[in-house]
Amino acid sequence: MNQLPKEIRPEMARARRLEWWTLAGMGSVVAAMYFAMGSSQAMKTAFIEDLLGLVPAVTFLVAARLEPRPPTRKYPYGFVRVDSLAFMASAVVLAAVGAWLLFDGVSALAAGEHPTIGPVTIFGHTVWLGWIMLAALAWSVVVPVVLGRLKRPVASKLCDKVLHTDALMQKADWQTGLAGMAGVLGIGMGLWWADSAAAAAIALSILYDGARNIRTAAAELLDGMPRQLESAEISPDAERLKRRLEARWPDGHVRLRESGRYILANVGDTCPPGDLPPLEEWMGDDAGWRLAQLSFTPPGCARSDED
Amino acid sequence: MRRLVWLAFALSLAACGPFPRDPDRTEELVRESGTIRLGWVRGTAPEREAAQALAAVARATSARVERVPGDSETLLRDLADGRIDLVYGTFAMASPWAKEVHFGPAIGWRAAPPRNQPAARFAMRNGENRWIMTVEQAVRP
Repeated sequence: MNQLPKEIRPEMARARRLEWWTLAGMGSVVAAMYFAMGSSQAMKTAFIEDLLGLVPAVTFLVAARLEPRPPTRKYPYGFVRVDSLAFMASAVVLAAVGAWLLFDGVSALAAGEHPTIGPVTIFGHTVWLGWIMLAALAWSVVVPVVLGRLKRPVASKLCDKVLHTDALMQKADWQTGLAGMAGVLGIGMGLWWADSAAAAAIALSILYDGARNIRTAAAELLDGMPRQLESAEISPDAERLKRRLEARWPDGHVRLRESGRYILANVGDTCPPGDLPPLEEWMGDDAGWRLAQLSFTPPGCARSDED
Repeated sequence: MRRLVWLAFALSLAACGPFPRDPDRTEELVRESGTIRLGWVRGTAPEREAAQALAAVARATSARVERVPGDSETLLRDLADGRIDLVYGTFAMASPWAKEVHFGPAIGWRAAPPRNQPAARFAMRNGENRWIMTVEQAVRP
Protein backbone atom coordinates (compact mmCIF):
# COMPACT_ATOMS: atom_id res chain seq x y z
CA MET A 1 0.00 0.00 0.00
CA ASN A 2 3.01 2.24 0.45
CA GLN A 3 4.03 1.84 -3.17
CA LEU A 4 1.76 3.73 -5.51
CA PRO A 5 -0.10 1.27 -7.81
CA LYS A 6 1.42 1.11 -11.32
CA GLU A 7 -1.89 2.03 -12.98
CA ILE A 8 -2.00 5.48 -11.42
CA ARG A 9 1.70 6.42 -11.44
CA PRO A 10 1.54 8.40 -14.76
CA GLU A 11 -1.54 10.30 -13.50
CA MET A 12 0.24 11.01 -10.21
CA ALA A 13 3.23 12.45 -12.09
CA ARG A 14 0.83 14.60 -14.14
CA ALA A 15 -0.91 15.75 -10.95
CA ARG A 16 2.44 16.77 -9.47
CA ARG A 17 3.31 18.78 -12.59
CA LEU A 18 -0.09 20.46 -12.52
CA GLU A 19 0.41 21.43 -8.88
CA TRP A 20 3.78 23.01 -9.63
CA TRP A 21 2.11 24.94 -12.46
CA THR A 22 -0.58 25.95 -9.96
CA LEU A 23 2.01 27.34 -7.56
CA ALA A 24 3.61 29.35 -10.37
CA GLY A 25 0.32 30.53 -11.95
CA MET A 26 -1.53 31.34 -8.74
CA GLY A 27 1.68 32.85 -7.30
CA SER A 28 1.63 35.35 -10.18
CA VAL A 29 -2.05 36.06 -9.45
CA VAL A 30 -1.36 36.64 -5.74
CA ALA A 31 1.53 39.01 -6.57
CA ALA A 32 -0.62 40.96 -9.08
CA MET A 33 -3.48 41.20 -6.56
CA TYR A 34 -1.16 42.32 -3.73
CA PHE A 35 0.26 45.22 -5.74
CA ALA A 36 -3.15 46.33 -7.07
CA MET A 37 -5.18 45.74 -3.87
CA GLY A 38 -5.71 49.32 -2.67
CA SER A 39 -8.51 49.70 -0.13
CA SER A 40 -11.14 47.57 -1.85
CA GLN A 41 -12.73 45.09 0.58
CA ALA A 42 -13.69 42.70 -2.26
CA MET A 43 -10.17 42.82 -3.66
CA LYS A 44 -8.69 42.15 -0.20
CA THR A 45 -11.03 39.17 0.24
CA ALA A 46 -10.21 37.86 -3.25
CA PHE A 47 -6.48 38.26 -2.52
CA ILE A 48 -6.78 36.22 0.69
CA GLU A 49 -8.79 33.56 -1.12
CA ASP A 50 -6.17 33.32 -3.86
CA LEU A 51 -3.45 33.09 -1.22
CA LEU A 52 -5.38 30.33 0.55
CA GLY A 53 -5.88 28.67 -2.81
CA LEU A 54 -2.19 27.78 -2.69
CA VAL A 55 -2.72 25.66 0.47
CA PRO A 56 -4.28 22.58 -1.24
CA ALA A 57 -1.54 22.64 -3.92
CA VAL A 58 1.19 22.76 -1.27
CA THR A 59 -0.51 20.08 0.88
CA PHE A 60 -0.87 17.83 -2.20
CA LEU A 61 2.83 18.12 -3.01
CA VAL A 62 3.84 17.51 0.63
CA ALA A 63 1.42 14.56 0.98
CA ALA A 64 2.57 13.06 -2.35
CA ARG A 65 6.14 13.12 -1.06
CA LEU A 66 5.26 11.60 2.33
CA GLU A 67 2.73 9.00 1.15
CA PRO A 68 5.17 6.48 -0.42
CA ARG A 69 7.52 6.51 2.60
CA PRO A 70 8.07 3.05 4.11
CA PRO A 71 6.49 2.28 7.51
CA THR A 72 8.56 3.00 10.59
CA ARG A 73 8.54 1.54 14.11
CA LYS A 74 6.33 4.40 15.29
CA TYR A 75 4.14 4.40 12.17
CA PRO A 76 3.84 0.72 11.24
CA TYR A 77 0.98 1.39 8.78
CA GLY A 78 3.03 3.91 6.82
CA PHE A 79 1.88 7.37 5.80
CA VAL A 80 -1.00 6.82 3.37
CA ARG A 81 -3.34 8.81 5.60
CA VAL A 82 -1.18 11.92 5.53
CA ASP A 83 -3.46 12.87 2.65
CA SER A 84 -6.49 12.76 4.98
CA LEU A 85 -4.72 14.82 7.64
CA ALA A 86 -3.73 17.46 5.08
CA PHE A 87 -7.28 17.52 3.75
CA MET A 88 -8.76 18.13 7.20
CA ALA A 89 -6.21 20.85 7.99
CA SER A 90 -6.87 22.74 4.75
CA ALA A 91 -10.66 22.42 5.22
CA VAL A 92 -10.48 23.92 8.74
CA VAL A 93 -8.30 26.81 7.54
CA LEU A 94 -10.70 27.46 4.66
CA ALA A 95 -13.76 27.56 6.93
CA ALA A 96 -12.07 29.74 9.57
CA VAL A 97 -10.85 32.32 7.06
CA GLY A 98 -14.26 32.31 5.32
CA ALA A 99 -15.96 33.08 8.65
CA TRP A 100 -13.52 35.88 9.44
CA LEU A 101 -13.85 37.47 5.99
CA LEU A 102 -17.64 37.25 6.18
CA PHE A 103 -17.57 39.11 9.51
CA ASP A 104 -15.18 41.69 8.03
CA GLY A 105 -17.35 42.26 4.93
CA VAL A 106 -20.63 42.47 6.83
CA SER A 107 -19.08 44.84 9.41
CA ALA A 108 -17.86 47.15 6.61
CA LEU A 109 -21.34 47.05 5.06
CA ALA A 110 -23.02 47.78 8.40
CA ALA A 111 -20.61 50.64 9.15
CA GLY A 112 -21.39 52.16 5.72
CA GLU A 113 -17.69 52.41 4.84
CA HIS A 114 -17.14 54.21 1.53
CA PRO A 115 -14.10 52.57 -0.11
CA THR A 116 -11.62 54.97 -1.65
CA ILE A 117 -9.78 54.07 -4.84
CA GLY A 118 -7.56 56.92 -5.85
CA PRO A 119 -5.30 57.56 -8.83
CA VAL A 120 -1.88 56.03 -9.41
CA THR A 121 0.94 57.29 -11.63
CA ILE A 122 2.42 54.73 -14.03
CA PHE A 123 5.14 55.71 -16.50
CA GLY A 124 4.21 59.35 -16.06
CA HIS A 125 0.48 58.79 -16.67
CA THR A 126 -2.06 59.17 -13.88
CA VAL A 127 -4.82 56.57 -14.08
CA TRP A 128 -7.57 55.38 -11.76
CA LEU A 129 -6.21 52.48 -9.62
CA GLY A 130 -9.52 50.68 -10.22
CA TRP A 131 -8.46 49.91 -13.82
CA ILE A 132 -5.25 48.25 -12.55
CA MET A 133 -7.36 46.30 -10.04
CA LEU A 134 -9.70 45.13 -12.81
CA ALA A 135 -6.71 43.96 -14.89
CA ALA A 136 -5.29 42.02 -11.90
CA LEU A 137 -8.73 40.51 -11.20
CA ALA A 138 -9.11 39.50 -14.87
CA TRP A 139 -5.75 37.66 -14.61
CA SER A 140 -7.06 35.99 -11.43
CA VAL A 141 -9.98 34.63 -13.49
CA VAL A 142 -8.00 33.30 -16.48
CA VAL A 143 -5.36 31.28 -14.57
CA PRO A 144 -7.68 29.20 -12.32
CA VAL A 145 -10.17 28.52 -15.15
CA VAL A 146 -7.40 26.78 -17.13
CA LEU A 147 -5.84 24.96 -14.14
CA GLY A 148 -9.16 23.80 -12.69
CA ARG A 149 -10.27 22.26 -16.00
CA LEU A 150 -6.98 20.36 -16.31
CA LYS A 151 -7.09 19.02 -12.73
CA ARG A 152 -10.61 17.63 -12.37
CA PRO A 153 -10.20 14.52 -14.59
CA VAL A 154 -6.82 13.72 -12.98
CA ALA A 155 -8.31 13.99 -9.45
CA SER A 156 -11.13 11.69 -10.47
CA LYS A 157 -8.73 9.02 -11.81
CA LEU A 158 -6.55 9.22 -8.69
CA CYS A 159 -9.54 9.34 -6.27
CA ASP A 160 -7.58 12.14 -4.63
CA LYS A 161 -9.58 14.43 -2.35
CA VAL A 162 -6.85 17.03 -1.92
CA LEU A 163 -6.42 17.38 -5.68
CA HIS A 164 -10.19 17.52 -6.10
CA THR A 165 -10.43 20.20 -3.38
CA ASP A 166 -7.73 22.07 -5.21
CA ALA A 167 -9.73 21.93 -8.46
CA LEU A 168 -12.76 23.20 -6.49
CA MET A 169 -10.63 25.99 -5.04
CA GLN A 170 -9.74 27.02 -8.57
CA LYS A 171 -13.44 27.25 -9.38
CA ALA A 172 -13.97 29.37 -6.27
CA ASP A 173 -10.97 31.50 -7.30
CA TRP A 174 -12.32 32.48 -10.72
CA GLN A 175 -15.79 33.09 -9.32
CA THR A 176 -14.18 35.27 -6.66
CA GLY A 177 -12.32 37.15 -9.40
CA LEU A 178 -15.60 37.92 -11.17
CA ALA A 179 -17.26 38.99 -7.90
CA GLY A 180 -14.24 41.21 -7.16
CA MET A 181 -14.55 42.81 -10.61
CA ALA A 182 -18.23 43.49 -9.91
CA GLY A 183 -17.22 45.09 -6.59
CA VAL A 184 -14.60 47.40 -8.17
CA LEU A 185 -16.94 48.32 -11.04
CA GLY A 186 -19.59 49.05 -8.41
CA ILE A 187 -17.25 51.46 -6.63
CA GLY A 188 -16.50 53.11 -9.99
CA MET A 189 -20.21 53.52 -10.62
CA GLY A 190 -20.64 55.26 -7.27
CA LEU A 191 -22.26 52.30 -5.50
CA TRP A 192 -20.27 52.31 -2.24
CA TRP A 193 -22.02 49.16 -0.92
CA ALA A 194 -21.19 47.02 -4.00
CA ASP A 195 -17.63 46.34 -2.82
CA SER A 196 -18.54 45.13 0.69
CA ALA A 197 -21.50 43.16 -0.65
CA ALA A 198 -19.25 41.40 -3.20
CA ALA A 199 -16.70 40.71 -0.43
CA ALA A 200 -19.39 39.19 1.81
CA ALA A 201 -20.66 37.01 -1.06
CA ILE A 202 -17.12 35.75 -1.76
CA ALA A 203 -16.56 35.04 1.96
CA LEU A 204 -19.83 33.10 2.14
CA SER A 205 -18.68 30.85 -0.72
CA ILE A 206 -15.30 30.27 1.02
CA LEU A 207 -17.11 29.35 4.26
CA TYR A 208 -19.44 26.96 2.40
CA ASP A 209 -16.51 25.19 0.69
CA GLY A 210 -14.67 24.87 4.01
CA ALA A 211 -17.72 23.47 5.86
CA ARG A 212 -18.40 20.92 3.10
CA ASN A 213 -14.76 19.77 3.09
CA ILE A 214 -14.73 19.42 6.90
CA ARG A 215 -17.76 17.13 6.61
CA THR A 216 -16.02 14.88 4.04
CA ALA A 217 -12.71 14.87 5.97
CA ALA A 218 -14.49 14.02 9.23
CA ALA A 219 -16.19 11.05 7.56
CA GLU A 220 -12.80 9.59 6.69
CA LEU A 221 -11.26 10.27 10.11
CA LEU A 222 -14.25 8.54 11.74
CA ASP A 223 -13.69 5.48 9.53
CA GLY A 224 -16.90 6.20 7.61
CA MET A 225 -17.79 4.55 4.31
CA PRO A 226 -15.65 5.81 1.38
CA ARG A 227 -17.11 9.05 0.01
CA GLN A 228 -17.47 10.49 -3.47
CA LEU A 229 -15.06 13.20 -4.55
CA GLU A 230 -17.84 15.60 -5.48
CA SER A 231 -19.99 15.23 -2.36
CA ALA A 232 -20.27 13.64 1.07
CA GLU A 233 -22.32 10.75 -0.43
CA ILE A 234 -20.99 7.18 -0.32
CA SER A 235 -18.91 6.39 -3.41
CA PRO A 236 -20.59 3.98 -5.88
CA ASP A 237 -17.53 1.72 -6.26
CA ALA A 238 -17.58 1.16 -2.47
CA GLU A 239 -21.33 0.36 -2.57
CA ARG A 240 -20.73 -2.20 -5.34
CA LEU A 241 -17.79 -3.79 -3.48
CA LYS A 242 -19.89 -4.09 -0.31
CA ARG A 243 -22.65 -5.85 -2.25
CA ARG A 244 -20.13 -8.31 -3.76
CA LEU A 245 -18.62 -9.11 -0.37
CA GLU A 246 -22.05 -9.52 1.25
CA ALA A 247 -23.10 -11.87 -1.55
CA ARG A 248 -20.03 -14.04 -0.90
CA TRP A 249 -20.33 -13.96 2.93
CA PRO A 250 -24.04 -13.44 3.65
CA ASP A 251 -23.58 -14.20 7.37
CA GLY A 252 -20.55 -11.92 7.73
CA HIS A 253 -20.60 -8.29 8.82
CA VAL A 254 -19.04 -6.34 5.93
CA ARG A 255 -17.54 -2.96 6.76
CA LEU A 256 -15.60 -0.63 4.47
CA ARG A 257 -13.54 2.41 5.30
CA GLU A 258 -11.25 4.73 3.41
CA SER A 259 -7.57 5.31 4.02
CA GLY A 260 -6.26 8.07 1.81
CA ARG A 261 -7.22 7.09 -1.74
CA TYR A 262 -7.63 3.37 -0.83
CA ILE A 263 -10.53 1.22 0.39
CA LEU A 264 -10.02 -1.17 3.30
CA ALA A 265 -12.61 -3.93 3.75
CA ASN A 266 -13.29 -6.12 6.75
CA VAL A 267 -15.64 -9.10 6.99
CA GLY A 268 -16.57 -9.60 10.64
CA ASP A 269 -17.72 -12.83 12.32
CA THR A 270 -16.09 -14.83 9.52
CA CYS A 271 -13.00 -17.05 9.48
CA PRO A 272 -10.51 -16.28 6.67
CA PRO A 273 -11.20 -18.65 3.79
CA GLY A 274 -8.32 -20.68 2.38
CA ASP A 275 -8.71 -19.65 -1.24
CA LEU A 276 -9.22 -16.04 -2.20
CA PRO A 277 -8.99 -14.37 -5.62
CA PRO A 278 -6.59 -11.41 -6.05
CA LEU A 279 -7.84 -8.16 -4.50
CA GLU A 280 -8.44 -6.53 -7.94
CA GLU A 281 -11.12 -9.09 -8.78
CA TRP A 282 -13.34 -7.93 -5.93
CA MET A 283 -13.59 -4.52 -7.55
CA GLY A 284 -15.23 -5.90 -10.73
CA ASP A 285 -15.15 -3.22 -13.44
CA ASP A 286 -14.08 -0.48 -11.00
CA ALA A 287 -10.43 0.56 -10.54
CA GLY A 288 -8.74 -2.56 -9.07
CA TRP A 289 -6.03 -0.68 -7.16
CA ARG A 290 -8.63 1.00 -4.94
CA LEU A 291 -9.02 -2.07 -2.70
CA ALA A 292 -5.85 -2.15 -0.63
CA GLN A 293 -6.83 -4.66 2.05
CA LEU A 294 -9.42 -7.35 2.71
CA SER A 295 -9.33 -8.67 6.27
CA PHE A 296 -11.44 -11.11 8.28
CA THR A 297 -12.36 -11.15 11.95
CA PRO A 298 -13.31 -14.61 13.15
CA PRO A 299 -16.19 -14.92 15.65
CA GLY A 300 -15.09 -14.07 19.18
CA CYS A 301 -12.03 -12.06 18.06
CA ALA A 302 -13.67 -8.64 18.40
CA ARG A 303 -16.15 -7.11 20.78
CA SER A 304 -19.53 -7.07 19.10
CA ASP A 305 -21.26 -3.72 18.55
CA GLU A 306 -24.25 -5.00 20.51
CA ASP A 307 -22.21 -5.60 23.73
CA MET B 1 -21.42 32.43 -19.68
CA ARG B 2 -24.28 34.32 -18.02
CA ARG B 3 -21.76 35.85 -15.60
CA LEU B 4 -19.64 37.07 -18.50
CA VAL B 5 -22.70 38.68 -20.09
CA TRP B 6 -23.43 40.49 -16.81
CA LEU B 7 -19.81 41.59 -16.59
CA ALA B 8 -19.89 42.88 -20.18
CA PHE B 9 -23.15 44.70 -19.33
CA ALA B 10 -21.56 46.27 -16.22
CA LEU B 11 -18.47 47.29 -18.21
CA SER B 12 -20.60 48.95 -20.89
CA LEU B 13 -22.58 50.77 -18.19
CA ALA B 14 -19.27 51.86 -16.68
CA ALA B 15 -18.21 53.24 -20.05
CA CYS B 16 -21.23 55.62 -20.07
CA GLY B 17 -20.62 58.93 -18.33
CA PRO B 18 -17.77 59.86 -15.99
CA PHE B 19 -15.90 57.01 -14.36
CA PRO B 20 -15.28 56.66 -11.48
CA ARG B 21 -18.27 58.44 -9.96
CA ASP B 22 -18.83 59.94 -6.49
CA PRO B 23 -21.41 58.12 -4.34
CA ASP B 24 -22.33 61.48 -2.73
CA ARG B 25 -21.86 63.57 -5.92
CA THR B 26 -19.14 65.89 -4.52
CA GLU B 27 -17.71 66.90 -7.90
CA GLU B 28 -21.13 67.25 -9.51
CA LEU B 29 -22.24 69.54 -6.66
CA VAL B 30 -19.04 71.59 -7.01
CA ARG B 31 -19.75 72.04 -10.73
CA GLU B 32 -23.45 72.78 -10.17
CA SER B 33 -22.84 75.31 -7.38
CA GLY B 34 -19.70 76.77 -8.96
CA THR B 35 -18.07 76.74 -5.51
CA ILE B 36 -15.35 74.64 -3.89
CA ARG B 37 -15.80 74.82 -0.11
CA LEU B 38 -12.21 74.58 1.14
CA GLY B 39 -11.42 74.12 4.82
CA TRP B 40 -8.06 75.74 5.60
CA VAL B 41 -6.43 74.57 8.84
CA ARG B 42 -5.23 77.70 10.67
CA GLY B 43 -1.45 78.03 10.73
CA THR B 44 -0.79 75.94 7.61
CA ALA B 45 1.73 77.68 5.37
CA PRO B 46 0.39 78.23 1.81
CA GLU B 47 2.71 76.07 -0.34
CA ARG B 48 3.15 77.26 -3.93
CA GLU B 49 2.26 73.77 -5.28
CA ALA B 50 -0.95 73.77 -3.21
CA ALA B 51 -2.03 77.14 -4.66
CA GLN B 52 -1.28 75.87 -8.18
CA ALA B 53 -3.25 72.66 -7.56
CA LEU B 54 -6.23 74.61 -6.21
CA ALA B 55 -6.18 76.87 -9.26
CA ALA B 56 -6.08 73.79 -11.55
CA VAL B 57 -9.03 72.16 -9.73
CA ALA B 58 -10.99 75.41 -9.92
CA ARG B 59 -10.30 75.63 -13.67
CA ALA B 60 -11.24 71.96 -14.26
CA THR B 61 -14.56 72.34 -12.44
CA SER B 62 -15.29 75.97 -13.48
CA ALA B 63 -15.71 76.81 -9.80
CA ARG B 64 -14.27 79.38 -7.43
CA VAL B 65 -12.62 78.53 -4.11
CA GLU B 66 -14.41 79.61 -0.93
CA ARG B 67 -12.09 79.40 2.09
CA VAL B 68 -13.38 78.27 5.49
CA PRO B 69 -10.66 78.69 8.16
CA GLY B 70 -10.78 76.50 11.28
CA ASP B 71 -9.02 73.92 13.44
CA SER B 72 -8.21 70.51 11.97
CA GLU B 73 -10.62 68.51 14.19
CA THR B 74 -13.63 70.63 13.23
CA LEU B 75 -12.72 70.85 9.55
CA LEU B 76 -12.04 67.13 9.16
CA ARG B 77 -15.35 66.30 10.91
CA ASP B 78 -17.15 68.73 8.56
CA LEU B 79 -15.41 67.08 5.61
CA ALA B 80 -16.38 63.54 6.72
CA ASP B 81 -19.98 64.72 7.14
CA GLY B 82 -20.03 66.35 3.68
CA ARG B 83 -20.39 69.97 4.85
CA ILE B 84 -17.19 71.00 3.01
CA ASP B 85 -15.50 69.56 -0.10
CA LEU B 86 -11.81 69.75 0.70
CA VAL B 87 -9.45 70.45 3.61
CA TYR B 88 -5.90 71.78 3.35
CA GLY B 89 -3.62 71.30 6.34
CA THR B 90 -0.60 69.55 7.81
CA PHE B 91 -1.39 65.89 8.48
CA ALA B 92 0.57 62.68 9.05
CA MET B 93 -0.58 59.54 7.23
CA ALA B 94 -0.48 57.78 10.62
CA SER B 95 -3.17 60.17 11.96
CA PRO B 96 -6.30 58.47 13.36
CA TRP B 97 -8.26 60.60 10.85
CA ALA B 98 -6.75 58.55 7.99
CA LYS B 99 -9.63 56.07 8.43
CA GLU B 100 -12.32 58.75 8.38
CA VAL B 101 -11.08 60.79 5.40
CA HIS B 102 -8.72 60.30 2.47
CA PHE B 103 -5.36 62.09 2.66
CA GLY B 104 -3.77 63.00 -0.68
CA PRO B 105 -0.03 62.96 -1.43
CA ALA B 106 2.34 65.22 0.54
CA ILE B 107 2.83 68.60 -1.10
CA GLY B 108 6.37 69.92 -1.46
CA TRP B 109 8.00 66.49 -0.98
CA ARG B 110 9.86 64.63 -3.74
CA ALA B 111 9.26 61.18 -2.18
CA ALA B 112 6.51 60.16 0.25
CA PRO B 113 7.48 61.26 3.80
CA PRO B 114 7.48 58.75 6.72
CA ARG B 115 3.94 57.84 7.87
CA ASN B 116 4.24 59.68 11.17
CA GLN B 117 5.76 62.82 9.59
CA PRO B 118 3.19 65.64 9.30
CA ALA B 119 3.19 67.18 5.81
CA ALA B 120 1.03 69.69 3.95
CA ARG B 121 -1.67 67.83 2.00
CA PHE B 122 -5.29 67.94 0.92
CA ALA B 123 -7.89 65.75 2.62
CA MET B 124 -10.99 64.57 0.79
CA ARG B 125 -14.13 62.71 1.77
CA ASN B 126 -13.75 58.92 1.75
CA GLY B 127 -15.11 57.13 -1.33
CA GLU B 128 -15.63 60.28 -3.46
CA ASN B 129 -13.39 58.76 -6.09
CA ARG B 130 -14.09 61.16 -9.00
CA TRP B 131 -13.35 64.18 -6.80
CA ILE B 132 -10.24 62.49 -5.37
CA MET B 133 -9.03 61.82 -8.94
CA THR B 134 -9.58 65.45 -9.93
CA VAL B 135 -7.76 66.89 -6.89
CA GLU B 136 -4.87 64.39 -6.96
CA GLN B 137 -4.32 64.81 -10.69
CA ALA B 138 -3.90 68.53 -10.00
CA VAL B 139 -1.52 67.88 -7.08
CA ARG B 140 0.72 65.37 -8.88
CA PRO B 141 3.41 67.06 -10.97
